Amino acid sequence: MADRGREYLVLADEDLISLVENGDADAFATLYDRHSRAAFSLAYRMMGERQASEDLAQDAFLKVWRNAASYRAERGSVRTWILSIVHNRGIDQLRSHASRRRTQDKIEASAPRSQPSEAFAETWRNSQRDQVREALNTLPSEQLKILELAYFSGYTHVEISELLSLPLGTVKGRMRLGLKKIRTHFESRGAAVPR
Amino acid sequence: MSEMNQERFEDLKDAYVLDALPEEERRSFEDYLAAHPERQAEVDELGAVAGLLAFSPHEQEPSPTLRARVMEVVEAEAEPRHAQRRSLWSSIADFLSVRSLAFGAAAVLLIGLLSWNLLLQGQMQDLQGQVRDEQAQVQELQGQVQDAQAQRQVQQSQTIELAGSWADQGAEAEVASINENRVILVADNMPSVPDEKTCQIWVIKGDVPEPSGLFQPDGNMTATPITNSIEEADAVAVTVEPAGGSDQPTSDPVLLAEL
Repeated sequence: MADRGREYLVLADEDLISLVENGDADAFATLYDRHSRAAFSLAYRMMGERQASEDLAQDAFLKVWRNAASYRAERGSVRTWILSIVHNRGIDQLRSHASRRRTQDKIEASAPRSQPSEAFAETWRNSQRDQVREALNTLPSEQLKILELAYFSGYTHVEISELLSLPLGTVKGRMRLGLKKIRTHFESRGAAVPR
Repeated sequence: MSEMNQERFEDLKDAYVLDALPEEERRSFEDYLAAHPERQAEVDELGAVAGLLAFSPHEQEPSPTLRARVMEVVEAEAEPRHAQRRSLWSSIADFLSVRSLAFGAAAVLLIGLLSWNLLLQGQMQDLQGQVRDEQAQVQELQGQVQDAQAQRQVQQSQTIELAGSWADQGAEAEVASINENRVILVADNMPSVPDEKTCQIWVIKGDVPEPSGLFQPDGNMTATPITNSIEEADAVAVTVEPAGGSDQPTSDPVLLAEL
């Protein structure tokens, strides 16, 4: 079993997913070890506390195990697929607890934020994560805040508009400009957007 | 709510890929998309940009108990999947055993065809296995070349040795800058730490220690990326922390290098 685990270390994610589809627990364990940190980090960013984040990550990885056959390579990498599962389930959970979180987020949204600079201040250049952080670091804080409220906190554009007391058109415009700026960041370096 | 059309589609597509449309608008958007599949690629492309946000959070280490919990469920479910495959063969055997002799010849023929099919599949799998083995060997060789290159780079790079109580016990650890952007901590002969503990690297600037990576000594040489720049740092230290790491050191450094 341990030998097989070692052999799996050299397999690509797409090969491991095929094995997982056939019920191979060792292949799944290898995938888990490769991607659990990124998945948990995203879960933690969305849920904001450890136990709920672990529950979300567990839920997402069990979905990977049970639905490996639904992975489509043409839609993106295995890592992106796993993170999208974490994100979708996180959004579902956040929206089901939306009323409990609204007051707290309203306070955070109105307070001066050190988060963007603190969260994305480090300039790392040698990995996908670093490139993404670099791209996000170029966004004006008002655009980044709106992307974060939508993506990590699960608010709709209408809710963000109410939360920040901004016209809905402004919220949509900042979403559009923020996404466009991220894409332009990669294109200006001759790089494709990682998928 | 206004009717979905091309203009409205343009207006809402950014919120859609961020998962920020209210339920009714989302359904309306998806209906429009289903009716205009030529717009799907554009939405997928924009979705990939939004999906990049998933890579941005600061790294957090999940606890070892999470892995144990997930694998417990996975292993429990893996066994019935094998059992299902076994019971399928049992059913075929039962089916064949209770048929009358009139079907005997047909069954023999069926088994023959199945066996031939299985034989061919087996041969094909053997060939696929050989291809995979060859690919694995190529990857292994590529890995060895990369290791050798990395080792050469490390040898060419600057290294700073860490001192401290663990070094006194025989542990060897160095901070190595492979190039201006990549700095790693190479450690060997480190004492083991309990499962509920981990080693955490700190980059210290002034009096402020910044969490800069986690590793678990396993008796072998380990190389761990230092996730904060050491430019303008005063020291790099290693402490033993609870699994998952800490925001601030909770124990004295076991290894330390002043830069």
